[in-house]
Amino acid sequence: MSEIWVLVDTTADGKVRNVTYEVLTAAVKLKEKNSATVAAVFVGESAGAIEGDLGKYGADKVYKVEDPALNDFNPSAYASALSEAIKKHNPDIILGGNTLQNQDFLPRVSALTSGGLVLDAVDVDISSSSTLSIKRYRYSGKSISGITFHDVKPMIATIRPNTFKAVESSGAGEVIQETAQVPSQENIKVLETKLVPKDRPELTEADKIVSGGRGVASTENFELIFNIADSIGAGAGASRAAVDSGYVPYEMQVGQTGKVVAPNLYIAVGISGSVQHYAGMGSSKVIVAINKDPDAPIFQKCDYGICGDLFEVLPALTEEFKKLS
Amino acid sequence: MKIVVIVRQTPDTEAKIAANSSGNGIDETGLKWILNPFDEFAVEEAVKIKESTGAEVVILGIGPDRALETIRTALAMGGDSAIHIKDENFGATDSYATAKLIASKIKAMGDVDLILAGKKWIDEESGQVAIQVAAELDIPQATIATKVDVDDAAKTVKVQSEIEGGQRIIELNFPALVTAERGLNEPRYASLPGIMKAKKKPLEEVTVDAINLEELGLAQENLGADGSRYKIDNIDIPVINRSLNVLKGGNSDMVESAEVQAAAENLTKLLREEAKII
Ligand SMILES: Cc1cc2nc3c(=O)[nH]c(=O)nc-3n(C[C@H](O)[C@H](O)[C@H](O)COP(=O)(O)OP(=O)(O)OC[C@H]3O[C@@H](n4cnc5c(N)ncnc54)[C@H](O)[C@@H]3O)c2cc1C
Ligand SMILES: Nc1ncnc2c1ncn2[C@@H]1O[C@H](COP(=O)(O)O)[C@@H](O)[C@H]1O
Repeated sequence: MSEIWVLVDTTADGKVRNVTYEVLTAAVKLKEKNSATVAAVFVGESAGAIEGDLGKYGADKVYKVEDPALNDFNPSAYASALSEAIKKHNPDIILGGNTLQNQDFLPRVSALTSGGLVLDAVDVDISSSSTLSIKRYRYSGKSISGITFHDVKPMIATIRPNTFKAVESSGAGEVIQETAQVPSQENIKVLETKLVPKDRPELTEADKIVSGGRGVASTENFELIFNIADSIGAGAGASRAAVDSGYVPYEMQVGQTGKVVAPNLYIAVGISGSVQHYAGMGSSKVIVAINKDPDAPIFQKCDYGICGDLFEVLPALTEEFKKLS
Repeated sequence: MKIVVIVRQTPDTEAKIAANSSGNGIDETGLKWILNPFDEFAVEEAVKIKESTGAEVVILGIGPDRALETIRTALAMGGDSAIHIKDENFGATDSYATAKLIASKIKAMGDVDLILAGKKWIDEESGQVAIQVAAELDIPQATIATKVDVDDAAKTVKVQSEIEGGQRIIELNFPALVTAERGLNEPRYASLPGIMKAKKKPLEEVTVDAINLEELGLAQENLGADGSRYKIDNIDIPVINRSLNVLKGGNSDMVESAEVQAAAENLTKLLREEAKII
């Protein structure tokens, strides 16, 4: 029977990332059309007892591709390990979250296995002939393409986080232990890994985001953005103008040359709503804009808004949000 | 040392995108083309390394005739010479076949130490070609670099990049491939004398026909749309369809100080009861 694989993404402390459950949910939907088996696949040093959680979201099997040489993420080593497992088990379809790690090593997997790869899908489906079809944005969100794989196996795709809502379903979570094939890696050394403890959810996975733009006007004023974000447990982002002005670091930038995000709620504060900014947040479910210029383009691209001075609106809105919890 | 920067042309970010008549590609009439912004960071980094180590910088681009303009921009920024792989079918050829064509040319050069590329094209956003060049050459890679330190004597490069939840620094032995993230540097503008000089720099033009596809494990059928591992069935131009419920002031568009509290309450209520989002 054909298999649909779902790559398991974990945090530094070994917890399965939510995006993995979202992708499992997508895989379970495909499975119903294709009578396939859904297998979660972990590649790394040591998985720990993750099969229970993965089973809860529909994994029939859990492959553990483990090896001490996979302690630090290294794209060549991970690509070899996964590619060997693919050649052994021949899955038809491989899905993963569109995380930095998957973006880094899956192109190599595609090269090593002659598989086809499409990154950052916002929808996946299976056609009658069991080929995978995908929707993805191109041209900075200005177009959306339907793409079908063509005579190729495996068909590999990553899915944008927050696209599917994780839904529990039952799977046996039967563990299958694999030994990884990792060629020695003399050409690449991880010198230092710095995990920065974050006070807020990561942008690419956040359910809600508040972003500030040039209108916020200074690093100190960004406290207003952080405060309102914290009042609803949101991540904090920024426009390029805010980053270029040095108010906040580049990691916070949302847009064509920043992060692409798809939260349920995106609040844009003091952001005019350029094409390039919208490219990074246009697939958010609900967009709220706070801007003092009634003609700001963002007001043509939002669901709700307040036309007013952010320095007056934010403190009042933060108080209202706090009352909710 | 020798550095190759692979560059690509992309429609200007402000460009209006429309589907072509067959509905599976974009209409290119009247489009303005620019050097892909991420590739600009790669060119700038190469030129900076050249300034500190005396490295030679070769610009490599694949694409139709118009791609030459972009290659010249990279030369004007400081590249020494260029190779243009001419592929009129380009764009329809899938990322892995494109990567193989690029890699074959780099392999033929023989003595390349460092390959720089952008993290992705802003148009297709395929995010694969550069990494597949590294895979094809069987060399290590570091993607989305925000800092690059070359040690010419030791033949290594240290690269800092973002990872989920933090940052890391990895060291690669030459030959290596690095893709550039925004924040790596501030690309210089091509100066007028630079643009003049660029026209006189050595340029090698290669047609795809002149490349021995068989050696690459490719056949003519692998190029162009028919050979692609995935097909674009259709392109939709999404229309922005949002409710545009913007709260305004009583006397002017702007909500005045005295009205702010009511507006904040009102918006909170809408988000809670109508959008059911908080
Ligand atoms: C190749 C390329 C890539 C790009 N990539 C990105 C990207 O990834 N992300 C991105 O964001 N941009 C990107 N840009 C830049 C983009 O074009 C815009 O310049 C940028 O998004 C503007 O940021 P902004 O909205 O914060 O600033 P502005 O456009 O200056 O808007 C500031 C807004 O704040 C409002 N404002 C000011 N004061 C107040 C106040 N007190 N109260 C309420 N409102 C106030 C103003 O009315 C205005 O609408 C890119 C540009 C190019 C060319
Ligand atoms: N056709 C091409 N010609 C030259 N460089 C390319 C080409 N395609 C991709 N690249 C390089 O690879 C990077 C990533 O592209 P992509 O993987 O297609 O998003 C780009 O930023 C370029 O540096």
